[in-house]
Amino acid sequence: MKKILAVAKWEYLEKVKTKTFIISLIITPIIIISFSILPSILFKEEAPNVEVIGLIDTSEVYFNEMEYELSQYKLPDGNRNYVLINLSFNSKNFEELKSTANKKVQKNLIEGCLVLYNPGSDSVYAEYRSKTIGNFKIVGRLEEALSSIRLKQKLEQEGIDTKILKYFQNKVSVDQLKVEEGGNVSDQDFLTTFFMSIIFILLLMMMVVYSGQMLVRSMIEEKSSRLIEMLISSSTPDELLTGKLIGLSLLGLTQIFIWVLIGISLVAGSFVPPSAFNNILPMLLYFILGYLFYSSLFVGIGSTVNTEQEAQQITTYLSLILMLPVVIAMPAIQNPDLLITKIFSYIPLTTPTVMLLRLNVESVSELEIILTLSILVLSILIVTKLSAKIFRIGILSYGSKPTIKEILQWIKE
Amino acid sequence: MLIVNNLVKIFNSTRAVDNLSFIVKPGKIFGLLGPNGAGKTTAIRTILNIIKPTSGEIVFNGNPITYEYYNIIGYLPEERGLYKRSKVIDVLIYFASLKNINKSDALSNSDFWLKKLKILEFRDKKVEQLSKGNQQKVQLIAAIMHNPQLLILDEPFTGFDPINQQEVKDLILSFLSEGKTIIFSTHQMDLAEKLCEDILLINRGKAVSSGKLSDIKKNFGGNNIRIAFTGNNDFLKQFPEIIKYDHYHNFTDIQLTDEIIPSEFLKKLIGKIEINHFSIIEPTLNKIFIDRIKESAGSA
Repeated sequence: MKKILAVAKWEYLEKVKTKTFIISLIITPIIIISFSILPSILFKEEAPNVEVIGLIDTSEVYFNEMEYELSQYKLPDGNRNYVLINLSFNSKNFEELKSTANKKVQKNLIEGCLVLYNPGSDSVYAEYRSKTIGNFKIVGRLEEALSSIRLKQKLEQEGIDTKILKYFQNKVSVDQLKVEEGGNVSDQDFLTTFFMSIIFILLLMMMVVYSGQMLVRSMIEEKSSRLIEMLISSSTPDELLTGKLIGLSLLGLTQIFIWVLIGISLVAGSFVPPSAFNNILPMLLYFILGYLFYSSLFVGIGSTVNTEQEAQQITTYLSLILMLPVVIAMPAIQNPDLLITKIFSYIPLTTPTVMLLRLNVESVSELEIILTLSILVLSILIVTKLSAKIFRIGILSYGSKPTIKEILQWIKE
Repeated sequence: MLIVNNLVKIFNSTRAVDNLSFIVKPGKIFGLLGPNGAGKTTAIRTILNIIKPTSGEIVFNGNPITYEYYNIIGYLPEERGLYKRSKVIDVLIYFASLKNINKSDALSNSDFWLKKLKILEFRDKKVEQLSKGNQQKVQLIAAIMHNPQLLILDEPFTGFDPINQQEVKDLILSFLSEGKTIIFSTHQMDLAEKLCEDILLINRGKAVSSGKLSDIKKNFGGNNIRIAFTGNNDFLKQFPEIIKYDHYHNFTDIQLTDEIIPSEFLKKLIGKIEINHFSIIEPTLNKIFIDRIKESAGSA
C-alpha cells in the first residue's frame, strides 16, 4: 500500500508540474467555450453599414412596394439598413440591364442586385446577384418582402381588404418544453443544454487524449530507458499499475475540479444560464467514470507500445470513438428512441459520451442511468484486471509490437 | 548467500535459462558472464523476482523469495536512463520510497552518496542537465542508496571515463568489505578477471564453466608462452611442439603441447633466432571465454 501511494504521488506530482498539463488545463476550456459561444455572437451582429441594393423590374410595379417593405429594417443609429435603387431603364433591354448591374456589383457601387423574372404575374421569381453567396439574411428578407407583395397584389385583384395581410403575417409560434423525470416541466433553452453536452464531450475527449498521451509517453520513457526494471525490482507490477492509475485519476480530478470552478464563474458572470447545469450530477459521474475507464484502458495498451508513433495511432483511434456521439447527435435529438443510441449507451467505450448527450436532449429514466453506470463501473474493474495482466508482461517486452494473439496469450497466463 | 538451484525458464518453446545452479557467497563478487543473448538478463530477472522461473528455486540468506525481498535487493540495469525532466533529488527520493525508505532517511542517504560521488552540486538540477556520466552516477545511487543486501550490477562500468570507473570500482569494493552479496554481469573480461573470485560462464542458457576463477584457469590448461623476437615468424612452423600460435605486433603467443617444459622449448629457440622476450603466461579470462563459447557452440 505504501508503495502504491509512492507511485501515485510521483505520477501525480511529476505530471501536474508539466507544461502540457498546465496548457491543457487552461487552454482547452477557453478553446471549447469560445468555439461554442463565437458563432452565436457573430450571428447576432447587425451589419453596421447602409447597403445599397439595385432592382431590375421590367414591369416597374415592385419598386415602391419593395422600398416600403425594406424600410422596416433599421440600423442601430436609426437610419435605414437598405437603400433600394431602380436599375430598370426603359431604353435598354433585359440582358443589357443585367450586365450593367453586374458591372455595378463588380465595382462595389451596389451591394447586390435583385432581378425579377415574370414580374406582375403569379409565377414571379427572382435572383439576387452579389459578390458572395451565402447572404442568408438579406435573401431571407427579400423573399419575405416579395412574398408579401405578391400576396397583397392577389388580395387587391380579388377585392379583399389588404389589412388582412397583417393577420397573415403574424404566425403562431410553438415553444419547446422538456418533461423531466417526475413530471416536472423545464423551460431550459434547448441550444444551451445541447451545447453543454457537446462541451462536456469535447472536454472528456481532450482530457482522455491529453492524459492518455502523457501516460503512454512516460511509460515509453520508462521502457526505453529500462527504468521499468528498476521499478519492478522494487515493487510488484500490480502496485505499479495501481499507483499509476490512482495518480492519473487524481490528475483527471484536478482538471475536472478546476474546470468546474471555471464553469461556476461563468454562471456567476451570467455568461451561461444556471439551467445549463441541471443535470450536472449525473453528467459529472459519467465524465469521471468515463475518464477512469479510458485511463485503465490506456495503462494496458500503453505497456505494449514502444514508440511514440504507435502511441499516437492508438490515441487517435480512441478519440475517434469518443467523438461518435457528435456524429449521432442530430438523429438522437430528433428521435431519442432510436435503437442505435440505446445500444451505444450500453457499450462502455461509448457509454460516457452518448449518455452525456442523452441526458440533456431527452429524459433518460433512472433505471437506465443506474444500469449504464453499473456497466461502466463493472467494465472499469474488468479492464483494470486485464490491463494488469497485459502490463505485467508488456512492460518487459521490447522490440516489435506484440500481436493481438500474443496479447491474448498474456491475458491467459 | 544466494543459492540458485536448477533454474529453468522457458519462453514459448525456447529454453532461455536451462538448468542453472550456482552459489553467490557474501563478501565476494560473482561474475555472471556470457555472450549477448546467452540468457544473462533472463537469469537476472528471475533472481530479481521480476519474472517467475518455470522451475527451480532461489534462496537468499536461507529464505525463499518473498515480498520483503524487494526491499533488500539493488539492481542497476544494463541500459541507463532516468526521468529526464525531474530533479535529481526527487528521483532519488522516489526510488528510495519504493524500497520503503522514509523521506528523511532518503534525503540524508542521497546527500551522502551525492557527496561521495562528487555530484552534490547537481542535487536540485534536472536530470537532463547533467552529463551522461553524472546521470549514470545518479542511477547507481538509486540502485544502492537503500543499502541492499544483494546487489546486481549489469555492466556498471560502461559509459564511465577511467577516473569515474575507478570511483565506481572503489564503491563496489567498499560494499564488498561490508559483506554484501554482489553479482556482476559484464562482457568486459579484463574487469571480470580483476574483480571476480567466482564466475559462471553461460551460453544459450546453459552453464559452460563455473567455479573459482583460479581453478577454471588451472583446468583450462594450456602450456602457454609469450615470446618476442627479431625477424620473420616462419621458423615457428618447424616445431611439432607448437599446437598453435597467435602473432601480434610486438609479440607472439604460443600454445605448446602439454609434454614439453617451456624452458626446454626456449633452449630450442635460442639457436634459431634472436629472442628479446620470453615469459610463461596463464590463460586470460578473455581467451577462456572465447574458447569455451566456441566449444559449446560447436558441440551444440
